[in-house]
Amino acid sequence: METYGRGTNSTRTRRRVGIADFAVTDDGAVLTTSGLGSCLGVGLFDESAGVAGLAHTMLPTAPDDADNVAKFSDTGIDAVVSAMRQEGAAVDNIRAKLAGGSAMFEFDSQEESIGKRNVAVGRTTLERLGIPIVAADVGGDSGRSLRFQGDTGILVVKSAGDERRL
Amino acid sequence: MRVDIQSLGTYNRLAQEGAEHAAASLTQMTGIETYVDVTNVTLMSKQDVEDVFGGTEFVGVQIGLGGGLSGETALAFDQESAASIVDVLVPGASADDDGEFDEMAQSGINEIGNIMMGGFVDGWADYLGASVDMTPPNYVERAGTDVLPDGALDRAEEEHVFVFESQMTAVDQEIDAYIYMLPEYGAFADMLAASDDHDDAIPMDKLTVFDEMTRQGAQQAAGNVSSMTGIETDVDVSRLSFVPIEDVPNTARDEVYIGTVMEFKGTPGGYLAILFDEPSARTIVDATVPMELDEPLGEMGESAIEELGNIMTSGFIDGWANVLQTSIDHTPPELVHDMGTAILSPIAGRLGQSQEYAFLMDSTVVTPEGEFNCELYAIPDERKLKEALDSLLVERSDQLEADQESLF
Repeated sequence: METYGRGTNSTRTRRRVGIADFAVTDDGAVLTTSGLGSCLGVGLFDESAGVAGLAHTMLPTAPDDADNVAKFSDTGIDAVVSAMRQEGAAVDNIRAKLAGGSAMFEFDSQEESIGKRNVAVGRTTLERLGIPIVAADVGGDSGRSLRFQGDTGILVVKSAGDERRL
Repeated sequence: MRVDIQSLGTYNRLAQEGAEHAAASLTQMTGIETYVDVTNVTLMSKQDVEDVFGGTEFVGVQIGLGGGLSGETALAFDQESAASIVDVLVPGASADDDGEFDEMAQSGINEIGNIMMGGFVDGWADYLGASVDMTPPNYVERAGTDVLPDGALDRAEEEHVFVFESQMTAVDQEIDAYIYMLPEYGAFADMLAASDDHDDAIPMDKLTVFDEMTRQGAQQAAGNVSSMTGIETDVDVSRLSFVPIEDVPNTARDEVYIGTVMEFKGTPGGYLAILFDEPSARTIVDATVPMELDEPLGEMGESAIEELGNIMTSGFIDGWANVLQTSIDHTPPELVHDMGTAILSPIAGRLGQSQEYAFLMDSTVVTPEGEFNCELYAIPDERKLKEALDSLLVERSDQLEADQESLF
């Protein structure tokens, strides 16, 4: 059903990204994902090619025999970048925005939280690829929902009643 | 019989991929963008089946399977979703005043059912290397458990049944569709059976004991709520399902919850989340705190929920300890107030480091008048669960259900 009489964004195609999933658009679709807790959201945008991608990863580092690369922050970012290149993006022109990686609660445990490790691996992976991070909204103890505008590269983060535009 | 966890995982994946094909067919035929929300395989007793399907009205088709995969399937829509799909698919066809679909609408539903289920079974046929035969679709407009293939409920009475369930949802509209597949028990048991020396196997009879643990845990938790609040409560749904670890967060609805989360220590290890949606939390707080509280729930309200979470947690643990006949250590419950998927994501993340699938036990505590509902998610660590079940005496499971051994 078409929606009439609303702003341009709501009539644009909306594509939902699940957990351990990613999507890429070259026609300005809005990529959305919800309920990021300790998971990491990575929005990637090549403005000159008009190609955007959004990944929602759950675990920091992939084992050698990972069956779903989108589940892990390192292989997930690699996968979005290569899918974007197939749509005409150039790695040198891609800029990244990070969101998520919160510690929803402190378990009684010595190890660093999954959220922090997801963010750390996200940063290292982007550095290895030579992709600069231009904005980040990570950490804390609240969940986030993301709307990544594929035409502008603006990342809208909703968290605990607040809305922030990166 | 022992169940090979790895092969249960493989079949879950086939069901997930099948549902994605079915959702793609639905999108292609109607132009309505849909995605697969959750796919799980559940081991259900007759009571579980009644809990899950009772009190709902469905429109859909039933299709029987034979050949490489024998069993029964149903594609079910709620009445409104079916009406939206008929509108697009067969313009002009309609529901009459009683909500009954006319012949054109019914044949539209049959056609889409046939195509979607064809997509669903294709991957299974490929994997099994054998063709799967489908009976012609049988249109059904029924309430509750009657939407399930004929005889499924009776079979569940004799032995637990495996139910594959996939939920599909439209991106921009209120449309939900469900695919159910109930493989024929004997044949499926053979497909799952593991050789005795397989380390990754769980004895089937003990798996049903675990189902009993969930039920008892939830009932004790519900009992404790009643004694604290004076509100009569009941456990509505309680079931054991097997899902890919990345689907665990999606089992909570996409809304804000308030509740508690804690970690089990030892055997079995794992996590328990007790979550109230916000209106339910409000109701509970109003019933237990004798003064007017701020809107929305502030610190006082949150601490009342935390207290309730503590009490429910200890009830749940008592239920488990009863069945396992051991004591269970746990961390103090921590208060959470956030989106359901965000709350469950670190739990999935922690467990996901060592396992690809999770046994998820979810229960819903409700009140007769629907004043509130509370969701309980218990997610054990797979290895610790195996240890706990291995050390469980078989005599104990006999005590629970006297004739269990004769069934397997």
